[in-house]
Amino acid sequence: MSHELTIEPLGRTIQVEEGQTILDASLRAGIHLPHACGQGYCATCKISVTDGEVDHGNASNFALMDYEREEGRALACCATLLADTTIEADVEADADARDIPVRDVSGTVTRIENLTPSIKGVWIELDANTPLEFQAGQYINFHFAPEVGQRAFSPANAPGAPLLELHVRLVPGGRGTQWIHQELKAGDRVQLSGPYGRFFVRKSAHLPSIFMAGGSGLSGPRSMILDLLAEGSLLPIVLVHGARNASELYYREDFEELARQHANFTYVPVLSDEPPDSGWKGRRQFVHEAAREHFAGDFRGHKAYLCGPPLMIEACIATLMQGRLFERDIYTEKFFSAADAQQVRSPLFKRV
Amino acid sequence: MTTAPPKKLSLKERYTLMTRDLAWDTTYQPMSKVYPQVGYEGIKIHDWNRWEDPFRLTMDAYWKYQAEKERKLYAILDAFNQNNGHLTVTDARYINVLKLYLGSTPPLELMAARGFTNMGRQMVGAGPRVACLMQAVDEYRHFQTQIHSVSNYNKYYNGLDEFAHQQSRMWYLSDGKSFFDDAITAGPFEFMVAIGFAFEYVLTNILFVPFISGAAYNGDLAAMTVGFSAQSDEARHMTLGLECIKFLLEQDPDNLPIVQRWIDKWTWRGTRKLGAVGMMMDYMLPKRIMSFKEAWEIYFEQNGSALFNDLARYGIKVPACFSQTVVEKEHVSHQSWIGFYMKSRAMSFHTWVPGPEELDWLSEKYPNTFDRFYRPTLEHWDKMEKQGKRFVNNTQPMNCQCCLNTIKYNEPDDPMSTCFRESVYKGEKFHFCSDHCKAIFDHEPEKYVQAYISSHQALQGNCAPEGVDVTANDFDPARYMNDFWRLDPRATGDFNGSDDQKNFAAWRAQATTN
Repeated sequence: MSHELTIEPLGRTIQVEEGQTILDASLRAGIHLPHACGQGYCATCKISVTDGEVDHGNASNFALMDYEREEGRALACCATLLADTTIEADVEADADARDIPVRDVSGTVTRIENLTPSIKGVWIELDANTPLEFQAGQYINFHFAPEVGQRAFSPANAPGAPLLELHVRLVPGGRGTQWIHQELKAGDRVQLSGPYGRFFVRKSAHLPSIFMAGGSGLSGPRSMILDLLAEGSLLPIVLVHGARNASELYYREDFEELARQHANFTYVPVLSDEPPDSGWKGRRQFVHEAAREHFAGDFRGHKAYLCGPPLMIEACIATLMQGRLFERDIYTEKFFSAADAQQVRSPLFKRV
Repeated sequence: MTTAPPKKLSLKERYTLMTRDLAWDTTYQPMSKVYPQVGYEGIKIHDWNRWEDPFRLTMDAYWKYQAEKERKLYAILDAFNQNNGHLTVTDARYINVLKLYLGSTPPLELMAARGFTNMGRQMVGAGPRVACLMQAVDEYRHFQTQIHSVSNYNKYYNGLDEFAHQQSRMWYLSDGKSFFDDAITAGPFEFMVAIGFAFEYVLTNILFVPFISGAAYNGDLAAMTVGFSAQSDEARHMTLGLECIKFLLEQDPDNLPIVQRWIDKWTWRGTRKLGAVGMMMDYMLPKRIMSFKEAWEIYFEQNGSALFNDLARYGIKVPACFSQTVVEKEHVSHQSWIGFYMKSRAMSFHTWVPGPEELDWLSEKYPNTFDRFYRPTLEHWDKMEKQGKRFVNNTQPMNCQCCLNTIKYNEPDDPMSTCFRESVYKGEKFHFCSDHCKAIFDHEPEKYVQAYISSHQALQGNCAPEGVDVTANDFDPARYMNDFWRLDPRATGDFNGSDDQKNFAAWRAQATTN
């Protein structure tokens, strides 16, 4: 039986499955709790249980003393829930997080359009009784038939727009995206839930923004940029959008028009695999190379938001860091999968 | 009027009030005079407030926590000792692991304590100062608990009593001493990279696996508990080392080449230090855990690669020695054991030829090297021993001027030839075990020419008692060495026929028969 876990001081509540550790559930929900050994020896993941009940599992008697157990301490990497529980962990509340509660919503598809040969735009009108609040950059889950489950998509529209706009890339062999590309049609009813994720603009920092997007990873950044411009932000905003070739680059005219209207917005489209004789006059590079050139290798004094395929994200993080922008100023949309949890990673970085 | 109850402080706010908030900048004297060591290595720090405290432990919580650990540990040690726990270990050969590990490590823990005490004084930020202070106390605790855990064995077995005297004199303890002496006499940031990063993060698991797991597998509850108690501090130490590297790399691009050089240097120095650990895993633990090669693959190649992949984002390259360590993992433990086996008259622990099943285990774990290069030697020595001619090498060893190991490892691309390197400095020739040790020397020769090499001291007559004419033609330097080392003759030689072997068998028989 699953239980609810509330994590203070974030105030966020997540579901924890039977037998699942607090650490595992938190990481999968995108909440980074400090941890190191993952097997109850080192005490890096020590938390306070302020309400509810936990089973301490294999926590070492040296890492978690008897008196600490009596005082309500636990090791997140070993502890499982015996009841709905509230913990206090060594995590910092994010001034820009609105912590909008997740809700289930439904709606009707009004339009489906080919944005590129591999990306479809899906517009959804949500039912009047279930509006969806979200922070630009957050994602929603799209519910399919039970055997397919759910998939995450970031709305590409600014919050508050009348229609929800999703960009869906056909993933080879992907059952969910294949269904959207081949079966879904205007007039169909859809079930969604959200918002999720910690990918949103850190407006409180009052710093210029760099958006680095690859392919359909444009959707979240588009929402964030539209939101910033609609609010009248005058801070510099640069969007570097990468696609394989000209046919896969979409919304180019829209962004060029935005750049004409807003002096603080700069649009940098870039193609990585465009034939040399195609007549494309823009950059033939990867996103990170174009960004390095555009900023002359110095990213200091910015906040960077990255959304795209893992290889692009990794290359962009290295480029940003070598251009003196570090983890505290870099944000990525990251989904922790079972495969990620098993991958050997060092504890050098927490979020990126 | 209603007032809202005061908001409970978050862990971070509580920590800030109890640490950073208690520090101040000096005004009567410039900060650069109060903290004189942080500048001379060339490291540039612009903003100490950017140091992110990797763990938020306040001193009051620290004392309470560590005191409880001590109570628990000593309760277990007492019970172990009262129940003659030493007779529950797999086999008396195991006790030689304690002689080597607990004979060499406590003085190194003490040096670490001294190093971190200095860091607690030299670091400008209050966060790192508090973290270094805690680590200094931790290291002191490890030093004490290790001595206490071995003291019970000292009542029954030979060779454990003179580790403090031997630390600065004994040839095979000088590699560890040199490692920590090198670190503690470096600048503060190099010390943090050497001990906090290379030692605590990159290499510590390979030290702990043979020690804690080895103790557990071989029935030594006391050493196992000491290990667990120490390991519960290690996570704090690792995160401190990692945070220090991040901080240095993020503060100024000019720090990158300096940090890279330190990572190259200390990863190699640590690797050399682990040769003897490999030998414990493959030869000395009667009940084995895994081979040194397997441990190297998991803890260094996999975990180390994950770390260096992440560090690559900052522009850090994989240490220059990485590929050589991968080749050497199939050789070092065997070469170390063979090296020690033949010096058995000059050591305070026993060596032996592994039994037939143990040789088969080594063949299985090292299919590429053991049968081809090492098994024939060990089988030959076994034959000699059975004929009453146990092989002994009575010559003085040649040591590497940098890492202080005896020069015994092979050329990286040729297992059949020994690797020798040399440099000439101020007209004098210095010898090295490897390209990496030579490179470390060449960068700072003035530091390494001072190395204390036992065989040199012997030949120079510095180990003979007063009154001996060390310039006489018939002066025999080897004659005085055992006294100089305070080497108990009962602790030397082969395990077979040793007092330890006989006593353990007799005591165990008393405990299990009528």
